[in-house]
Amino acid sequence: MQYIAPLAKLIENFRALPGIGSKTAVRLAYHILDMDADKAKGLAQAIIEAKEKIGYCNTCFNLSDTNPCHICAAEARDHSTICVVEQPQDVDAVERMRDYRGVYHVLHGSLSPLEGVGPEDIRIKELLTRLYDADVSEVIMATNPNVEGEATAMYIAKLLKPLGIKVTRIAHGLPVGGDLEYADEVTLAKAMENRREI
Amino acid sequence: MKVSTLNLVNYRNYAELFLEFAPGINIFLGMNAQGKTNIIEAVYYAALGRSHRTNTESELIYWKKTAGSIRMDFTRFDVANSLEFQFKLEKRRRILYNGSNIRTKELVGAMNVVLFSPEDLFLIKGSPVGRRRFLDIEISQASPAYYHELVKYTHIVTQRNTLLKRIREHKAKSSMLEIWDTQLAESAAHIVKKRLEAVKKFNMLANLMQRRISANMENLSIYYYIHGAEDNNMTDDVVPWYNKKLRESAEIDILRGSTGIGPHRDDLILEVNGINLRSFGSQGQQRTGVLALKLAELEFLRSETGEYPVLLLDDVMSELDRSRREQLLFFIQRENIQTLITATDESYFPAEHIGRYYHVDGGKVTMG
Repeated sequence: MQYIAPLAKLIENFRALPGIGSKTAVRLAYHILDMDADKAKGLAQAIIEAKEKIGYCNTCFNLSDTNPCHICAAEARDHSTICVVEQPQDVDAVERMRDYRGVYHVLHGSLSPLEGVGPEDIRIKELLTRLYDADVSEVIMATNPNVEGEATAMYIAKLLKPLGIKVTRIAHGLPVGGDLEYADEVTLAKAMENRREI
Repeated sequence: MKVSTLNLVNYRNYAELFLEFAPGINIFLGMNAQGKTNIIEAVYYAALGRSHRTNTESELIYWKKTAGSIRMDFTRFDVANSLEFQFKLEKRRRILYNGSNIRTKELVGAMNVVLFSPEDLFLIKGSPVGRRRFLDIEISQASPAYYHELVKYTHIVTQRNTLLKRIREHKAKSSMLEIWDTQLAESAAHIVKKRLEAVKKFNMLANLMQRRISANMENLSIYYYIHGAEDNNMTDDVVPWYNKKLRESAEIDILRGSTGIGPHRDDLILEVNGINLRSFGSQGQQRTGVLALKLAELEFLRSETGEYPVLLLDDVMSELDRSRREQLLFFIQRENIQTLITATDESYFPAEHIGRYYHVDGGKVTMG
C-alpha cells in the first residue's frame, strides 16, 4: 500500500535504524503522529542536540559533549594508567565498576583482516602519540576476550615494548558469585590456566 | 542402549508404520527401493537429529503430504525415554524429548547410534577431509571444549588466510602475521594434543576389532599424520614448533594466500600389516578396515558413556566375505549389541535363528 509522502519518509527513516523491521517502523511512525506536537518536537530536538553536541574527546576518543571529556579533564583521576577498550560502551562497563581510577583510550574497533580492519583503521596511532606526550606507567589492554581482541592486544603490546611501558592484559575466568559446577568447560580451562598462588 | 519402538507417520515412503524391535539382532529383508534404508535413516535421525542421506528436511515427508513425524522409544541404562521429531513443510521442526520441547544442541548424548553404510568406504578411499571430520566428531562427542577450540581455530585460520591475501596485494604488512601466528600455534597445539590422545585409543580398539574380524590374520594400525613433521623434527613443545613452522612457511603462504601448516592439513593413516590401506589395500581389506573403525567407534562410545550404542548396518553384508560376516555377527551376539541390519538376501545370514526377521515390501513391513 502507498503511504502519504511525509509518513512514508518517516517510516523509511525508522526502517534504516538497526534492529527495526518494516512493522516496527510503521508502528513507531504512527505513534509519533499520535503524539502531542510538543513531545514530537522535543524528540526531534533531542536527536539534533545529541548529534550536534556529542563528538569524540581529542585525547581518549570516547564520546563526549566536552573536549577533553570529563574523565580526561578530571584531576582526581590517575593519568598515568590508561585502559584500552574497543568501544565507547566498554568505557561505560568499566565505569560501572566504580573502582577504576585511571583514564581510557577507545580504539573504535579491533584488528580483523576479514573485515578489512588494519592498524591504521583504528585509533592506535593516537594512542602512541599520547604515550609519547604524557607520563604513562601502565597500559591495561581491555579488548574483548575473542580472537580479534586478543590479536589487537598482542599487536599493541608489541608496539609498546620498546617504550618500556608496562602493558597488562585483563584476566579471563570464572564469574564472581557463580557455582563452579555450572561453569562451562572453556571458561573453566581458562581460569585454571590463569590460576594464582594464594 | 536399545531402541524399543519406532513410529513413523508420513515419513519417506511410509504413510504409517509401527515397529517393535528385538533387543538383539533385527534383520530387514527386501528388494531394492522398498524402504529398508528409510527405517535405518529414521532411527539415525531420531538419535542424532540429522540424516546421513540428505540435508533437506522436506525430502523426509511423504510425497505430497505437508507434515510428518518420527517417534522413537528407547532405553538408556534400562530407563524408558522417548524422542519425537515433527516436521511441517516450510516450518521449523519440533523436537520432543520425553514429551518436552528441546533445542537441537540439547540432543547431544541423549541417544547414541553408530551407522555403517557403503558410503563409509570413503573414509578410507576419500580425501583427508572426511577422516579429519570422523576424528573431530568422535572427540567432540566426548569433549564439548574440543568442539569450541575447533571453531576458534578455524576462525583464526580464516583471519590469517585473508591477511595473507591482503599482504600479497600489498594492502597489509607481513609483520602483521605474528599476532595471528601466535594464536594459531596455541590453538593448533591444543587440537593436535587432543587428536593424538584419541588416535591412540582408536588405534588400540580398531586393531583389536581388525584381528577379530580377520581371524587374527591382519593387524590394523592408525597413525596421526602431522603435516610438516615428515622429517620427525617435531619437538615435544608443540607451540614453539608451530610458531617456527609458520614463520618458515610465511613466504609460500603469502604467495598461495592460504595457510599450509596446522591440524587443518593433517590426516589419519591406516595400515594393514604395515601396508597403507588407502593406496595399496585391496577392496576387501579396505572394507574390513572401515568395519574395524566402526566397531572401534562402538567401543569408544561405550568407554565414554558406559553403554553400547545401537548399531545400524545399512546394506553392508553383501560387501563382506562369509568369514568376516560370521565374525561380525558372532561379535554382535556375544556383546549383546542391539543391531538393525538391512539386506536383500537371507543367504547372508546363518541358517540357525539369529534374530528377528522383517520383510519390507513397498512401504509395508511384516514380521517373520
